[in-house]
Amino acid sequence: MDTAPKAASPAGGPHAPSRKAMRLAIAGSGLLLVIAFAAFYWATSLASRRKAAEAGDAVAVTVTDSACEPMDLTVPAGRTTFAITNRSNRAMEWEILDGVMVVEERENIAPGITQTIAARLAAGTYDITCGLLSNPRGKLHVTPAQADAEPAAPALLAFIGPLAEYQVQLLTHAGDFATATSALAQAVQADDLERARALYGEARLSYARLAPAADLFADLDTRLDARADDFGGREQDPLFKGLHRVEYGLFAQNTTAGLRAPAEALAADAGELNQRMATLQLQPDRMVSGAARLMRRAAGLEAMGGAEKYAHSDLADIQAEADAVLGIATLLRPLAQKASPGLPARIDADGAALTALLAAHRDGTGFSSFETVAADQRAAIAAALTTLGDDMDTLGAALGLTTSGRSVQ
Amino acid sequence: MKRSVLMLATALSLSLGALQAQAAVSPLDLVAPIAQYKVYVTKELDAFVAATKDFTDAVKAGDLAKAKTLYASARAHYERIEPIAELFSDLDGAIDSRADDHAKKEKDPTFTGYHRIEYGLFVTNSTDGLAPFADKLMADVNDLQARVKGLTFPPEKVVGGAAALLEEVAATKISGEEDRYSHTDLMDFQANIDGAQEVYTLFKPLLAKDAKNEAFLKKVDANFASVDAILVKYKTADGFESYDKLSKKDRKALAGPVNTLAEDLSKMRGLLGLK
Repeated sequence: MDTAPKAASPAGGPHAPSRKAMRLAIAGSGLLLVIAFAAFYWATSLASRRKAAEAGDAVAVTVTDSACEPMDLTVPAGRTTFAITNRSNRAMEWEILDGVMVVEERENIAPGITQTIAARLAAGTYDITCGLLSNPRGKLHVTPAQADAEPAAPALLAFIGPLAEYQVQLLTHAGDFATATSALAQAVQADDLERARALYGEARLSYARLAPAADLFADLDTRLDARADDFGGREQDPLFKGLHRVEYGLFAQNTTAGLRAPAEALAADAGELNQRMATLQLQPDRMVSGAARLMRRAAGLEAMGGAEKYAHSDLADIQAEADAVLGIATLLRPLAQKASPGLPARIDADGAALTALLAAHRDGTGFSSFETVAADQRAAIAAALTTLGDDMDTLGAALGLTTSGRSVQ
Repeated sequence: MKRSVLMLATALSLSLGALQAQAAVSPLDLVAPIAQYKVYVTKELDAFVAATKDFTDAVKAGDLAKAKTLYASARAHYERIEPIAELFSDLDGAIDSRADDHAKKEKDPTFTGYHRIEYGLFVTNSTDGLAPFADKLMADVNDLQARVKGLTFPPEKVVGGAAALLEEVAATKISGEEDRYSHTDLMDFQANIDGAQEVYTLFKPLLAKDAKNEAFLKKVDANFASVDAILVKYKTADGFESYDKLSKKDRKALAGPVNTLAEDLSKMRGLLGLK
C-alpha cells in the first residue's frame, strides 16, 4: 500500500503539470515529425521529379550494329540529357567528340540496355560515336542558347583549369631554375668558366619564363634579380647579389673568382622559390596583371640600355618573357574567345610582330648581342613590348578580372 | 519520446541533405590539387613512355619471354591515368582498344596497340609479325605524351576520374575481359584503383574541411582498404597472380566494395561544387 500513492501521483497532486507538459511535448514532437516528413517527402519528390523530367526530355539515340539512329542530332546549347540504347550485339561506349577530344562519354553500355548521360555543351558541331570504331560517326549540332536558357556556370569555375595548368608550368620553370642554378654553383666551384657561362644563360631563361609571376615573391625577386644600379655602391656594393652579380663576374670580369658565395646564395634562393611555388595560390587576375607589368617593365629596361649589362643577352630574355606572356594568353584563349571574339587573334598578331622584330637579330640558335641592336630597332622592340602589355590589360578587362584596361597598373 | 526526437533529427537531416547537396568549397581551392594531379599524370606518362620503349624493343628483338614479362607493368601506367589518357579518342582506340571494338575482332587490321600485341604474345605465342604494331604503339604513346603536356586538364574530368576508374573496374575488370589473353587483369585492376586513390587523396583535404563529409570519407577510406586487402593476397614478386587463379568468392568480395566505391566517388563532383 505504501506504493499506491506514488503510483497514483502522476494522475494528480504535485506532478500534474509535468503530465500536461508531456502531452504537449508528445503532440509537439508529433507535429514536428509530420512537418519533417512533409519536408523530406517534398525534397525527395522534387529530386525524383527532376530526374523524371531529365529522362523525359532526354534526346534518344539508338546504336545498332552499324550506325546511330538518328545519325544527325540538333540540341540547344546548355545541359542536355541523352538516352543511349544499345541495339547492337556487343557492349559499347558512346562518346561526344570535339575533334579527337572526348567531351562526354558513357562506357560499357550492355546490349539491350539504355543509359543516360548528361552533357553541358557549347554551341558548335560535334561527332558522336556509334559502336565499333570503324562505324561511321554521327553529327551533333548544338545551336546557340536562347536568352532564357540555363545561365552559364560561375565565372570563377572557368578559371580553375587555366590556373592549374599555369601553376604546373610555373612549377616546371621553377624546378628548371633550381636545377640550373645548382649546376651553375658547381661549375663555379670547379672554376669552369665556359660551363658556368652556359648555365647562367639557362638559369636566366628559366627565370624569364616564370617572370610574370616573379613579383609574387618580391623579397626573393629582389635577391635574385636586382641590378647593380639598384645599389649605392653599384657592382662593388656588398648587397649586390643574385643573377646579375654572377653575370658580372662571368661576363665582365671574365672569371669565376669570388663567385662561390654569390653562386651558392643564388642556388639556395632558387631552391626556396621552387618550394614556395608549390604552395602558391594564384588569383586569376594575377595571371594577366603580372604579364602586363612584365612587358612594360621589359620595355622600360630596354630603353635604359638593357637588363643584361654584362652578358648582353637581352634579346633571348625578351623572347622568353614574351613567350611566357603569350602562353598565358593561350591558356585563357577559350575564355577570351567568348568574351571578346577578336582579341585572341589580335594578341597573336602582336606577339608575332614582336617575334619578327627579334628574329631579325637571330644568330644561329640564339640571338646577337644586344649591343649590336641600333637605337631605332630598340625603340621598335620596346613599342612592341608595350603593345603586348596593353593587350594583356585589355584581356584582363574583357574577362572581368580588372575594372578597366590601362587604368589598372 | 526519445525515439521520436531521433526520428525527427534523422528526417530533418535527410531532407536537409537532399536540399543542400552542394558544399562550400571555393573554386580556387581546386586549383592546387588539379595542378598536382597533372604533375602525377606527367610522371606516369614519362614512365609509360620508357616502359613502352622497353616493351616494344623486346617485341621487335623477338624476345618473347621478356616481352611477356614487360607487358602488364608497362600497361599499368596507362591504366592509372586513364581519366586523362582516354580523353583523346583516336589514341585511346589505337593504344588500348579491345578486339571487340573492331568488326573482325582479332583479325581486323585496325585492331592495334597493347591488346593486339598481347594477343600475339599470349595466344599466337610468338613475336612474328608484331614489329609494325610495336612501332605504331611507340609512336602513339609518344604522341599521347606530347598532347597531354599541352592539355589544360578539365577540372570535372579530373575529379570525375576517380569514379570513372572504379566504374571501369566494375564493368570490365571483375569479369576478366580486359586482359583475356594474358590474364594480367589484377595488375590493371590495381593500377585503376591506384589512379582513383590518387585523385581521391588529392581532394580529400578539401572534402575534410566540411564536417558533413566525415562519414563519407570514412566509408570511402574503408572501402579502398577492403579492396587493397584482397588484392594484396594475390601479389607476387614481380606483379600479380593470374586472374584465373582468383576464387569465385574473392571475385565476389571485390565486387562489393568496388561497386560501392564507384557509387560514392561519383558524388565527389557534386561535393566539390563541380556539377
